[in-house]
Amino acid sequence: MQELLELLKDGRSRSTKMIAAELGKPVEIVERDIEFLERTGVIRRIEFSMCGSCSGCSTEDGKKTCPGCMPQDGFKNMGVMWEIT
Amino acid sequence: MTDKNEIVIALLGQPNSGKSTLFNGLTGLRQHVGNWPGKTVEKKEGSFTHGDKKYLVADLPGTYSLSANSDEEIITRDYIASGKADVVCILADSSQLERSLYMLSDFAGIEVPCFLLLNMSDVAKDQGKDINAKEMEDKLGIPVVLFSAPEVKKYDSFYTALEQAVDGKTVLDTSSLEKKFRDIPEYSEIRNTIGDYKDGNRTGMWLAVKALEGDEPVTAKIKAELGNEKASELSSVLSKCDKGIVKAGECKFAWIDELTADSVRKEKKDAGLGKFDRLITHRIWGKPVVVLTILLGLLASFIPALPLMGVGSAIASATAPLNDALLGIGCPSFIAALLCDVFLRCFSFVIQMLGFVFGVTLVFGLLEEIGVMARISYVFDNSMGKLGLQGKSVMPFLISFGCTMGGAAGTRVIDSWGQKVLTIALSWAIPCGAAWAVVPMLSTLFFGAWTPVIITVILIVMILHMWLTAKLFGRSLVKPSERCGMIMELPPYHKPKWGSLFRFVFGRTKDTFFRSFKVVLIVAVVFWLLSFTSTGTAGDSILFKVGHVIEPVTMVFGMKWQTFVAFIASSLGKEGALGVLSTIFSGTGSITIGSMQSADKAANLNELLLANITKPEALAFIFAITFNMPCIVALAATYQETHSAKWTAIIGSYYTATALVLAGIAYHIGMLIW
Repeated sequence: MQELLELLKDGRSRSTKMIAAELGKPVEIVERDIEFLERTGVIRRIEFSMCGSCSGCSTEDGKKTCPGCMPQDGFKNMGVMWEIT
Repeated sequence: MTDKNEIVIALLGQPNSGKSTLFNGLTGLRQHVGNWPGKTVEKKEGSFTHGDKKYLVADLPGTYSLSANSDEEIITRDYIASGKADVVCILADSSQLERSLYMLSDFAGIEVPCFLLLNMSDVAKDQGKDINAKEMEDKLGIPVVLFSAPEVKKYDSFYTALEQAVDGKTVLDTSSLEKKFRDIPEYSEIRNTIGDYKDGNRTGMWLAVKALEGDEPVTAKIKAELGNEKASELSSVLSKCDKGIVKAGECKFAWIDELTADSVRKEKKDAGLGKFDRLITHRIWGKPVVVLTILLGLLASFIPALPLMGVGSAIASATAPLNDALLGIGCPSFIAALLCDVFLRCFSFVIQMLGFVFGVTLVFGLLEEIGVMARISYVFDNSMGKLGLQGKSVMPFLISFGCTMGGAAGTRVIDSWGQKVLTIALSWAIPCGAAWAVVPMLSTLFFGAWTPVIITVILIVMILHMWLTAKLFGRSLVKPSERCGMIMELPPYHKPKWGSLFRFVFGRTKDTFFRSFKVVLIVAVVFWLLSFTSTGTAGDSILFKVGHVIEPVTMVFGMKWQTFVAFIASSLGKEGALGVLSTIFSGTGSITIGSMQSADKAANLNELLLANITKPEALAFIFAITFNMPCIVALAATYQETHSAKWTAIIGSYYTATALVLAGIAYHIGMLIW
């Protein structure tokens, strides 16, 4: 996992598959490491809230947004992003 | 052992390890559900009898580990530390042992009889994994059972292991794990400082690892027990620890991998990147491919738009006959004019625009649905660095293609205020959903088949605009800093769910129709009234008089006073420009007050526009409204997110100014071409 964190220091983002390929590890192992790093607070999942004009929506699970905001039902398939805290 | 002579079993496992299924399978209806004292976490206990022995089962909350990060974790580990359980049944998911055995490795070092249940063994088997439980048993020193919790009739192996663990008091063998920990210098130091200290059933190893991980409750307890001198020694060791939790985690996972390496055989899978992924992650071709994808997507989105443009202009051509008809049946001329010149024309414009809304929403919805959009955000991650931004700024930008307000709200994930303001400032340059409807529509009107070229140029200008704006504002907003890359889990490609996609697209189109119609209509009515005169000569109205006065100035930017006024109206919302066009131009020289006969007016507004605006002027106008401020609400959203009136004003006036400059440039380039 230190290798993984070291890898990201060059500023380039990578997908889990790319990390796996670069470190020569199976994807499942990289996913496990990411889960661990997230659980222990070393990395943080980036949660996007979509809506600007209203305060009552979109925060909890990103499902509710007001109709004025694009995308209303979109951006569900954007994958997951983590950043180093 | 309870006072009723029951043997207490604690079920320990990560969420989804099948604890509840096992608990229900064992206890049936003999369950008691309550809350853990002082916590809102559910406490489930139940009992069963096997052979001549009675058992009490405590279903501990499902947690990732035995740290102290949540109420659930604290309850779980305190319960185990309390010694209430005679035996701990640790569950792991056989189908993903490499991650779910983490609980076992975190439990290691607690001296309570235990056994390991490799649940969901049927799933693992289907995956082609062959798990040798006997071998694991030898390494761990505790019973290990391949198990499937839903098959209640096959619980014999569970009962055997349970009795084995209870009778033999089987404790997990941690020697190989401790050997790994010993390789971490900080661990050894902590371990030496602690010495022989134990806390109930928690060994020195477990305590030392938790201290290394930065576990505060455990560290505080150790310090309190060891006395001042040792406590300060421990503090100084701990202060030198860097990434203790990662190092400890690595040891645990290495131990798990060793454990499963020999005992689990699985079929090798190819984890290479897909074709498209290889292409877009290419250092040179990645960006061109993605830009081309976006461009083609935009152009493809015009296909469904063209028929609706036809419908829209057909509606517009009905204004004149309708006007005559209304006058014929004795309708007051003022109302007839309002209905035909304002309402119907606005309706026609909005219909013409709607096809583009539909097309753009469909194409971008589709790109997102099949998983391409996530890859676009990956490709532009590095470009964000060049703009002085974090990679995650790419998401607000993508959202801004739909709505700048959404983009501004999307910047909430950015911690640094300066980066946040810069991201919002740049997101303004991205044409929003309304722009993607109005601009292609006007382009098609004025330039016909050349529209794709115009759209391409707009995209290029957008990129240059963002780059320049970043250079301009970046210096005062963003300090250069070390940047760490992000980890992204790109979604798998999948076939679109057409039903939900079309529901989304139709919903969006409908919403846009009502919103745009409202904006266009309000603007149109206001300007119609402003250009209304009792004499029937538009040239007498205040609006026209003022317009003629300012025209020498506005022509510097390639805009007649009418298009300039439309540009100003587009600040309210890009559709506002259509509201102005639909009234002012119909009035050049012949503002209608109903009394006039249709023969005096051109039948079609589109033709009127073409007759009154030259191509260079049209180009200037298109650039002006594209790069003008997105809308008045976006301005408010910018203030809401930046909390800075100063920067909101700077961004607002900057965009108005640059839009005019770009319009001027476009006009002069247009003059060279046409």
